[in-house]
Amino acid sequence: MNLIRYGEKFFDELEIQKIWKNEVSSSVELNQISSASSERIERTVIRGVKDGKAGIYLVDSTKDEDILKGIEKAAMIAKVNDPDPHWPGLPEAQSYRADTLEVPEQKSPEHFVNILSSVLKEVKLKDPKAMVVGGESGGAWLRTEILNSNGVSVEQNDFTSFFVLVMIGRQGAQVTPSIFDIDVSKTHEVDTKRVVDSCIKKIKVANTVKKAELREAPVLMEPFALSELLMFALFPAFNGEREVKGTSVLAGKEGESIMSKKVSIYDDPLNPNAVSHVIADDEGVATRKTSLVEHGVMRGFLWNHYWASIAGRESTGNGLRSFRTGAMSIGAHNMVVAPGTRSLEDIISDMKKGYIVSSYQGAHSSNPDTGDFAVVANPAFVVEDGEIVGSTVFMLSGNVYDIMNNVAEVSKELRSVYMGMLGKGQYPAIKFENLKIAPVSR
Amino acid sequence: MDMYAAIKHGESLGADYVEIRHENLTKSIIELRDGVFHTLTERKMYGYGVRVLVNGAWGFTSTSDGLKEAVEEAYRLAQAASRAIRNKIALAEVPTVKDRVRTPMRERPGFVPLEEKIEHLRKIEKLVKKEDFVKSSVIRYEDGTGTARLLTSEGTEIEWDPDYLLQSVWLTGIDGPLRGAARSTYGSVDEGWETFEHFTPESLAENLVRKLKNQMHGVPVKRGEYPIVAGPIVVGIIAHEALGHLAEADLTMNTPFSEKIGEQIAPEFVNMSDRIVERGFGNAKYDHEGVPVRDVHIIENGVLKEIMLNREYAKKWDMEPNGHARAESYSNPPIIRMRNTVFEPGEHSFEELIEDIKFGYYLVDFRGGQAELNSSFQVGVQEGYVIENGELGAPIKDTSISGIAIEVLKNIDALGKDFDIEYGICGKGQNAFVSSGGPHMKIKKSITIGGEK
Repeated sequence: MNLIRYGEKFFDELEIQKIWKNEVSSSVELNQISSASSERIERTVIRGVKDGKAGIYLVDSTKDEDILKGIEKAAMIAKVNDPDPHWPGLPEAQSYRADTLEVPEQKSPEHFVNILSSVLKEVKLKDPKAMVVGGESGGAWLRTEILNSNGVSVEQNDFTSFFVLVMIGRQGAQVTPSIFDIDVSKTHEVDTKRVVDSCIKKIKVANTVKKAELREAPVLMEPFALSELLMFALFPAFNGEREVKGTSVLAGKEGESIMSKKVSIYDDPLNPNAVSHVIADDEGVATRKTSLVEHGVMRGFLWNHYWASIAGRESTGNGLRSFRTGAMSIGAHNMVVAPGTRSLEDIISDMKKGYIVSSYQGAHSSNPDTGDFAVVANPAFVVEDGEIVGSTVFMLSGNVYDIMNNVAEVSKELRSVYMGMLGKGQYPAIKFENLKIAPVSR
Repeated sequence: MDMYAAIKHGESLGADYVEIRHENLTKSIIELRDGVFHTLTERKMYGYGVRVLVNGAWGFTSTSDGLKEAVEEAYRLAQAASRAIRNKIALAEVPTVKDRVRTPMRERPGFVPLEEKIEHLRKIEKLVKKEDFVKSSVIRYEDGTGTARLLTSEGTEIEWDPDYLLQSVWLTGIDGPLRGAARSTYGSVDEGWETFEHFTPESLAENLVRKLKNQMHGVPVKRGEYPIVAGPIVVGIIAHEALGHLAEADLTMNTPFSEKIGEQIAPEFVNMSDRIVERGFGNAKYDHEGVPVRDVHIIENGVLKEIMLNREYAKKWDMEPNGHARAESYSNPPIIRMRNTVFEPGEHSFEELIEDIKFGYYLVDFRGGQAELNSSFQVGVQEGYVIENGELGAPIKDTSISGIAIEVLKNIDALGKDFDIEYGICGKGQNAFVSSGGPHMKIKKSITIGGEK
């Protein structure tokens, strides 16, 4: 059945995206495996445009008969919409890089249960007092197909295996913050040993609680903390729609120095190690590596087809579709903050007095329109003479553009971060100078 | 295979418990961004969530097609997990329920013409953009209308209307060098389209534009520990983030609350509950395990008394389940969630709460919040004012507050006699519609406020 041809009876232009997702995982609660689960999603998004009026229909099915009905529904919805005077048309047919990702075969639930079983034994052996309060081992297979009436036709597959561990230590009523780590991979090989060792090392230190001081101090943000803060306070400013509307702090600043020369940032979806490896975005535009910041100088914005056309630019292949609402937006596929030259270990050993932040509470309450943030560093650790001597909790407040101009050093190690649609990428640790902190009572 | 046959099939495979939830919803999703309806969507959501207990371990899967295969898959998953389980999961016993629950909505949103919804959003946009400094607005509206069913192998059979509506607005303000952002979220499960008779576009626009303007012209906050008076919305978020999450039984075990049940943790005048409230976004008659929802008195006269439970954790804690197992949709298993978490009112006027504060902050509205197992919490603040010598002063720029919940509780100084709630979505791996609220509250110390000064 040629669905596009059928849709052309109703629309000037039509786009159909199908998605098949299969995620299998096993979970831990209270120091033991509690469940295994799978999620199978089959969904189709239909977007049709007639006389500049767009209508969208989503259905939990990829069957032709449901899509045919969906096309008719989308046509009824489009009739109610206002014509969009700026509607640029759907993307044209284009060529794509070869999809080099080798998607591994599906594994049984036992595979993921066994990974967690071994990890629980390893934790018990290494630290009998540590409590594994949560964790998950799993794999997600994703297949998408995008077709449109301009000849776009692209199918792609992606796979991510993941392993998450969440632990606490407790001494009577005193509980450490939850210490977590994660490993993600494009194969079935996840580095459980590194994750276990990292969590246990932090739990041991976290049992010693120290109060932070009200002052300006050097702060080293680990990759996960850095990604949280940048995702909510900085990256929205690279959205091309905000450039067009003049609401981005970075509007009109291409070619200008906007942060420390030590920082380069780019979106790299074609890297084989990319957490989200895609050759086409959700409108079927070929993806590419897009430089946003090069040695502190702003190089560009991220664009989808619609906003690039309005701005007279070329899409960077960053059209993202919500499979919950059908909404199109602009977003990164695999945001990378380029590595530095020295190891994290060496950077910490040179810190006389400062703090390390593993994660933040409240990064999502940052202001994307100004870059202002006030977040709680938790878990955070106190460093004295190059040694991590205890854990702490403090409020860190400021403006993301100010702190990115205040970078002391970037670590050479990159870690993959996997936080759903918004937060996939690879990040180093960054040490900042003179950040404003305030202790949270304890 | 229908749901009854699927339950029997699960039992015949050897499952100790089989539970199937079915949803059939039609959703409208509309997004108006600066004059253009970029998203005008109808979504058909249809599927089954299948959860089975086999030898003390859970297996869960979801499907839109093939219920028999889904039951077999859930069984296989549970079997795999059960081979590694040491302490078998068991469920607290509950009476079986057979019921059909109709929505109390007068105008179910699915029956409101799309044109009327579009006009509603247009009206909001026109009102918020009256001021030149409102540079951009994003207005989102979503509703769902349909039916849901729960069947269990124990004989529970409930059908209900999971209708809802949800509206959010984000404004970006720019005026020369001044910038700001303000947000609003409103949702309803008890009132349908008629809810906009009370929550009018006019009142929404007036409040939101005021917040934006105040923030753009706000003074920077002095970071550190200061006395605060929190308004009902911020008090609600403190109830939710600081205390509510610690009182979710699956989290309680790993928090300082686990050893404090029955102990005095706050002054005697402090009462906090998760309960049914008028227009509460978390209201329901039954939870997603078929357990009747009842009020949970988390703090009563300052004593930590009850926690929120599902059947699994009620068994672990040797308590009665209280109807707090909730799933975002058929494709998620139910987990322990809050509904409407509130501090109960006290007896003071607003003037009495601020009159002896030499320097502090009055915090009115929030943007985001987050809890941690060590009882540290964070609440983003999008509207607030300086308190100086017992009087309200200048508005402040957006900021956050934080504290250690078990310390903050001891430092609650006084409660107002008013009461209000807010509406939002809580993320704990899955989204859940929630409300939270309370009266005005004075906290004399132990709250840290973030700021550039």
